[in-house]
Amino acid sequence: MPVISPLAIVEVGATLADDVRVAPFAYVGAQVLLGPGCVIESNATVIGRTELGAGTHVFPLAVVGAPADPAAGAGRCTVGRNNVIREHVTIYAAPGPVVTEIGDDNLIMVGCRIGPGARVGRQGIFANGTDIGAGACVEDFVRTSGITAVAPGARVGAYSFVAGFSRVEGTVPPYAMLQGDPCRVRGVNSELLKRCGFSDEDIRALKLAHRRIYAGAGDGADMDAAADALADRRANEHVKRFAQAVLDAARRDARA
Amino acid sequence: MPELMVLREIAPSATIVPGARIGPFCTIGPHVTIGAGTLCHRRVCIAGHTTIGADNDIAEGCVLGALPQDLKYHGEASLLLVGDRNRLGRNVTIHVGTEAGGWLTRVGNDNVLNDEAHVAHDCYVDDHTFLGRGVLLAGHVRVNVRIGPFCTIGPHVTIGAVMEDQSAAHHFTTIGRYARVRARTPVRRDVPPYTDFYSDNSATSAPGVRGIHKDGILRARLPKDEEVELRFALRELFADETALQTKIEQLRNLGVEGEAAALCTFCQRSLQGPYGRHREVFRGQTPPEAVPPTVGRVSS
Repeated sequence: MPVISPLAIVEVGATLADDVRVAPFAYVGAQVLLGPGCVIESNATVIGRTELGAGTHVFPLAVVGAPADPAAGAGRCTVGRNNVIREHVTIYAAPGPVVTEIGDDNLIMVGCRIGPGARVGRQGIFANGTDIGAGACVEDFVRTSGITAVAPGARVGAYSFVAGFSRVEGTVPPYAMLQGDPCRVRGVNSELLKRCGFSDEDIRALKLAHRRIYAGAGDGADMDAAADALADRRANEHVKRFAQAVLDAARRDARA
Repeated sequence: MPELMVLREIAPSATIVPGARIGPFCTIGPHVTIGAGTLCHRRVCIAGHTTIGADNDIAEGCVLGALPQDLKYHGEASLLLVGDRNRLGRNVTIHVGTEAGGWLTRVGNDNVLNDEAHVAHDCYVDDHTFLGRGVLLAGHVRVNVRIGPFCTIGPHVTIGAVMEDQSAAHHFTTIGRYARVRARTPVRRDVPPYTDFYSDNSATSAPGVRGIHKDGILRARLPKDEEVELRFALRELFADETALQTKIEQLRNLGVEGEAAALCTFCQRSLQGPYGRHREVFRGQTPPEAVPPTVGRVSS
């Protein structure tokens, strides 16, 4: 049986796995599905057509599945396994056919906001006050520092790090250190790559590619260098992904 | 105040000193102590091994003593101590300490923490400080702590650093006494005492010391000669920060005393620490003042 405080409100229709814990004054809506081991702390709210994967921990005063447009009715939101959703976080549900999707093992720190229809990968760490806009896409293993803003519809590549007070617009490549308002590629996120088990050779290749494409300044990408890296058949697969993302970003910016 | 509303959850083993008032929808965990005269407004959640002193005012939505956001935290029973007469605005969050950081997060007396301010694990916030709206203190930050002048260890009587709205302090930084950090400034290195710390243009220049915090010097109420010496030292040190080391030595050779000498010590320590952060040397080791708490492990 789930442990539900007599002071909590769980609406009829909510589906709770056996070992879910719901603390006092938490609210769980009628269309919510809570996986095994979920903990909903006091004064937290889970509403909308929201699904929380196993082992997800929602801290006090967080809101998951908040309607982006109350007039449009309950939106959809799926959260993967073992996510930590800290105090005062708001995760919006997307109305209509779109779903706000969050992968597994993310740490979403105090006061973050994830907009409707945003897609977040797995193993991300988002520091306090990170604001991921509506429809933005954040790939796996991304780290953001405090008060980062990811603009609506922007895309942050995997293994990238966004420094504090930065703003991400458009598409930014994977494996990168990003900083600025709007952010620029400042280097290769080698520390995280090391921790994630990338070989020294991969990291060296990425650093070299970064130097060639950005000429060290980080202000504008050299498209020819990116195209060269992509055309090189012997090039490292990570370098190709990096170069491809740079080219994609340029194309998208040109269209915009 | 008549107790009109009793819809709240206070664990039976929590210690609520008579005279403390707990509002509706508050939850108080089993290892919490709350002192006399402290007022928790609505929806305040206090968890962990947390001790709150007397006469604090804790506004709606504050969460105190929640688990640290540190991946190295492994469930150890660490502490949060909050002193007396602090004013916490809405949605303030303060986390307990970690073993690696010395078991303890501490907020002193007479502080103002504005709405949505965040004090992370192992931070020390001393007395009479002001944290503006949405100020972020990352783990292991010390605001305005001194033992003997300006050493970053242990508690002592101190007075007011000011961090304005949405400024953020990096791990292991120290904000000196009576310093002022302006709004939306990222603090990546130690802020020397009595200085005004900000960035002219965030796109082109890193934040740094841009002047003297005159208001801070006034509030410190130093003896006249000490104040004159301090102002002289501040002018000398920060006219050209590239020559800081030489200036410190010159000032020491002149035999400055009191706050001016302490300022030199602070700057010297920051220079020696990696990235301009004196406390950075404690990264990965338990700081010397750390005392393991005499409580059991947190039961989940």
